[in-house]
Amino acid sequence: MTEQIDKALAREYEAGFVSDVESETFEPGLNEDVIRRISGMKGEPEWMLEWRLSAFREWLEMEEPEWALVDYPKIDFQSISYYSAPKSMKDKPKSLDEVDPELLRTYEKLGIPLIEQQMLAGIAVDAVFDSVSVVTTFREKLEEAGVIFCPISEAVHKYPDLVRKYLGSVVPKKDNYYAALNCAVFTDGSFVYIPKGTRCPMELSTYFRINEQNTGQFERTLIVADEGSHVSYLEGCTAPQRDENQLHAAVVELVAMDDAEIKYSTVQNWYPGDENGKGGIYNFVTKRGVCHTNAKISWTQVETGSSVTWKYPSCILKGDNSVGEFYSVALTRGRQQADTGTKMIHIGKNTKSTIISKGISAGRSNNSYRGLVRMNPGAEGARNFTQCDSLLIGDQCGAHTFPYVESRNPSAIVEHEATTSKVSDEQMFLCRQRGLDPEKAVSMIVNGFCKEVFKELPMEFAVEAGKLLEISLEGSVG
Amino acid sequence: MSEWLESAIARAQGINDWLAPKRAHALELLANTKWPTRKTEAWRYTPLRPIERTQAKVISEKVALTPVSIADLSAIELVFVNGQFDSAQLPETLPEGLSISLGGDLDAAEQAEALSGFSAIKPERHIFGLVNDALAQDVVVVSVAEGVEVTLPIRISSLLSQGAESHTRVQVALATGSKLTVIEDLQAQGESLNTAFVEYNIAANARLEHYRFALQTGSNVAVGGSHFNLHDHAKMNSTIVGFGSELSRLDTDIIHAGEFADAKLNAMYLLDGKELFDLHATVEHAMPNGKTEENVRCIVADRSRAVFNGRIHIHRDAQKTLAELNNRNLLLSDKAEINTKPELEIYADDVKCAHGATVAQIDKQALYYLQTRGVSRSKAQVMLNFGFINELIDLMPNAALAEWIRPIIRERFAQMEVK
Repeated sequence: MTEQIDKALAREYEAGFVSDVESETFEPGLNEDVIRRISGMKGEPEWMLEWRLSAFREWLEMEEPEWALVDYPKIDFQSISYYSAPKSMKDKPKSLDEVDPELLRTYEKLGIPLIEQQMLAGIAVDAVFDSVSVVTTFREKLEEAGVIFCPISEAVHKYPDLVRKYLGSVVPKKDNYYAALNCAVFTDGSFVYIPKGTRCPMELSTYFRINEQNTGQFERTLIVADEGSHVSYLEGCTAPQRDENQLHAAVVELVAMDDAEIKYSTVQNWYPGDENGKGGIYNFVTKRGVCHTNAKISWTQVETGSSVTWKYPSCILKGDNSVGEFYSVALTRGRQQADTGTKMIHIGKNTKSTIISKGISAGRSNNSYRGLVRMNPGAEGARNFTQCDSLLIGDQCGAHTFPYVESRNPSAIVEHEATTSKVSDEQMFLCRQRGLDPEKAVSMIVNGFCKEVFKELPMEFAVEAGKLLEISLEGSVG
Repeated sequence: MSEWLESAIARAQGINDWLAPKRAHALELLANTKWPTRKTEAWRYTPLRPIERTQAKVISEKVALTPVSIADLSAIELVFVNGQFDSAQLPETLPEGLSISLGGDLDAAEQAEALSGFSAIKPERHIFGLVNDALAQDVVVVSVAEGVEVTLPIRISSLLSQGAESHTRVQVALATGSKLTVIEDLQAQGESLNTAFVEYNIAANARLEHYRFALQTGSNVAVGGSHFNLHDHAKMNSTIVGFGSELSRLDTDIIHAGEFADAKLNAMYLLDGKELFDLHATVEHAMPNGKTEENVRCIVADRSRAVFNGRIHIHRDAQKTLAELNNRNLLLSDKAEINTKPELEIYADDVKCAHGATVAQIDKQALYYLQTRGVSRSKAQVMLNFGFINELIDLMPNAALAEWIRPIIRERFAQMEVK
């Protein structure tokens, strides 16, 4: 104890630390000073720093979750650098010629325009290109509607009341190990506020959020849809993104006030690692939304990347008649491991939830659905329907289902179904008979398998997601 | 570690008999096993408070208890009274090819075989399985010789008097091509504590018909398990009927250790009052071409709580497996609770597996329909509840048992007043 006090006393005062954002990358390590520095860099108000520090103290007391069916070497949290400024121009590849040709081929197949290819590959392009004008038009339109869409670090300064009120209101600081870590060290992310009765005039996408491309490994997103509003938000993109950070622990919080609706779509295609699973991204994400009366939150995800995924987008159906939805396609191949699913907590009367999960395992991968449906005593007339289907491609992979059903209300109805099978020989035969090569046939069958989820995605996304699956499955057949 | 476990360990340390190596092994494992809490996945919904504060004690003086008789059923009675095997209740002559003996009476070679059977079948991770390993007085070994079909069922009854603690263990070995019916039955008076494990080794082409009745209610604590090891072309058909008690926990483990094995499990449990019943049904498909079909139905009334964990694990080599699990639950009261978790863990691609789980209440329309036909509401509820369970009773291969259990269940329903 005295040792700790001595240590605390010996520490220099660093709260007022100000530094040049452009050139800073922190030494690896995590302690209160690092958090003070992150907060200082962003010029955050005192309350924000306090919030981070209290989360950090909680985190120190917490244990790493081990219940998921994933296996990876223990993470040394002291060996990670918790802040890295945007890469300077000179470190980046100068042109597409310097980029891994494999990556370019993928872009080509996905039909990504050249300028976006450069951006995705992290090429040092001057910020002045076509899309900036697009962004400006978007901004004007949003402002007109009164929609706030900005980096969360900006929102902390501009809209402190909103941020203070809602940050951590859905995912509390000590919710889980990675969420606590995120609270302590998050660097940036998006903040969205849709005013009362407003229908957001366009689909919001991280892609069009100006001012920063590199949100870092600890992303924080907060979306508040005020009464009667509507928003659709897209996260990620189908193209494999270049990323230097191995551990990603993001937190996404959604608040849907009375009669509001939030649709949150994700396509995740981070680096899955090499054939032995080395070097891939660890994606440990906490996503949760709370629905007030008559509100609706719909999660749609297409997960094809990352070497380890640990992700359970959830809905707390607090208000009467609120609706939660979860549509998911998770594809694993190589040595990928995914443990993903959802939680639907029914609190209000007549709440409804739908879960459709499609898992596809290929290669030597493992793919698990883990979900919870809870009917609280007050969830009079609540209804849930869950369907989890798994498809196995190859005899070295695994597909698992761990659904928890807890019901405390006799008038609530819960239905859960799960099936596991492989691409049947009959289906393959039929396709081959009609002249399709095996790869095309499998991709067609898989696309059909995922149709229920794809139809929930915004249209352009759905087309891209289909292509993405096709590309991901290449080489898995035969 | 709980005080109860500490005292159990202390008691086991004093025993020195032919099972000593087994006890020592169990004690060693127990020393490294954490007392389960809400954070222990296998005991997540089942608090162990009733064990922690139990007053049940081992009763060593002889008590005369006999099992209740079942009409139209003649069976070979294998009786434990307060954890002690009562050989006097065995018939004087057993059918040819069937032997029942106390492990302590076997010769050294047979004992060694029995000992090796333990580790092959029992899941060592079950904390109360280990307690049973350490504390069961002896093991009763039942064996059926090759090709013998025993027509009389064996009824293993565990009888407990008020406040008794008992730990019983039976090993049943069915040799190649043999056939046997076993009924496991627990009849306990109040405040008792019981761990009862039975292990079945079903050799190639052998067939087992199995029943387990856990009809104890009230303030009894019963933790037990039935473990089935199936070899090539072996078949089993098991029916479980459970009423809840202060704490009832049953683990059924079905292991497909041979190819083309076939397992059927039908379980039903009906809970009332403040009862709790926890069924963990695990199926391990370790070999190809296996088949499993499970039906689990549960009705909970009043403040009772039901827990079900149905795990199907298909290993890498178990290609061409067919496995199905169907779990349906009726929740009759707003104070009752159902926690169910059907799990699939699959590592082979050419398999067909499915599970389904539903939680709901009695169909309002069906209720209305019966009421319009002049059936009183409460009677209609009993009818519908009974119908829900009766579908499984109808599947019981033994008619005498079905006829015996049907009125008991009907009676139970009549008591379950729908709130």
